Amino acid sequence: MLTAADQLYRKSMTFCAWSGFMAIIFFIIGGTILGGMIPPLLNAGEPPAEFVRKVSEQLFEIRIGSIFMMISFALFGPFGAGIAAQTRRGEGNPAMSYVQLMFTACGTMVALLVAFTWALMVFRPDVYHPSLVQFLADFAYFLAVFSVPVFGGWCVVIAMPILMAEEGKEPFPRWIAYVNLWAVVLFAPGQMVLFFKDGPFSWHGIVAMWIPFIAFFLWILIMSLAMLKVAKQEPEQAA
Amino acid sequence: MNHTSTNHQSSDAAAMLPADTTSNTKIPGELGIWLFVAGDLIVFAVFFVVITLGHTTQNEIFVQSRASLDLWIGVINTLLLLTGSWFVALGVENCRRNPKGNFSRFFTLGILSGVGFVANKGFEWGSKISAGINPTTNDFYMYFFMFTGIHLLHVLIGIGILLMLRGVSKKPELSARNIRTLESGATFWHLVDFLWIVLFALFYLL
Repeated sequence: MLTAADQLYRKSMTFCAWSGFMAIIFFIIGGTILGGMIPPLLNAGEPPAEFVRKVSEQLFEIRIGSIFMMISFALFGPFGAGIAAQTRRGEGNPAMSYVQLMFTACGTMVALLVAFTWALMVFRPDVYHPSLVQFLADFAYFLAVFSVPVFGGWCVVIAMPILMAEEGKEPFPRWIAYVNLWAVVLFAPGQMVLFFKDGPFSWHGIVAMWIPFIAFFLWILIMSLAMLKVAKQEPEQAA
Repeated sequence: MNHTSTNHQSSDAAAMLPADTTSNTKIPGELGIWLFVAGDLIVFAVFFVVITLGHTTQNEIFVQSRASLDLWIGVINTLLLLTGSWFVALGVENCRRNPKGNFSRFFTLGILSGVGFVANKGFEWGSKISAGINPTTNDFYMYFFMFTGIHLLHVLIGIGILLMLRGVSKKPELSARNIRTLESGATFWHLVDFLWIVLFALFYLL
């Protein structure tokens, strides 16, 4: 039997899962197809004038892309809240899910600032001093990949309650916990961007940017699928 | 019941197994840790390709810089990790055979070999840095410091995990779940060992 509360929970989990899926789709439109964030239009090692030239050529696309990125990042909120709600159900006390919500809020805010900065960069690059355009690009990538403890910490506090849960009472399958820990390892090299302006560890490089970005959206995909599964599983468990 | 997730079925099954039959399961540890291992291997495969590409495009710098590395420090570190892995494997095997025995000394030895690795790496990095060589010297040293640094982070996490395993192995009687924890943790430690062997070959031997 499906109680009204169960049905409501199912619906809200489905909503949170879809927030994750939509975040990915909006980012692909905004960050990949239009915005030039990944694959990177810009290069950390280039002079400021080159930054201005490149963004001026695609001003309109990047502006529209920033709007899509803003929508994508705002959806991190419901995505994270859904995961926290599900781990909350498996916990005796809510400490870990509260910590998760803190990280969700922090991560969402940091991500929103990426879109803010990206949009500002193309607001009036002809008026800004070229080094300011370069600075805004640096700032956007630093927000995205240098913030390892926020996004990594988020994954750790998702993994912990799953691994610590009683046998058979895990809020998510145990392998999900390991996926989260793996994601932390993939985000970690992002902090290298501080030390390099060229090569694989710079903010346009494979190790510090490509791997963390792909890992992050893959993580959203896996967690959203897991939430969708929970939403569909609920009646059997309640019965 | 057949609609419940396979995860729940398998975890229920694991809970019902007595401790001494866990070794009959298909894989040591649990599925999740092997997903993690596979994932980490993919990332390191990218690192290995990056290093190899550097070697082919900047051959002269790489050959020259490689010659300045102390091969013996690398050899000692390889031996330390291999010995550590052996101790940890012995510890897990003993715990599996006799869940009531105390085999924490094997994990202590594994931890010591890991600490030895960290100390040796610190000595190696320290002598390089005091000789004026750092990640900005050239691309070889950038890769050397960064990739062995990421690996060092794995070693430190591994030591933390071994400390946890040591605590688990001290329990008067190990449950099936405890054994699974030991196996999963040991699997991570073997991964750390394996990754080092490839890094050692790429940086010191090629």
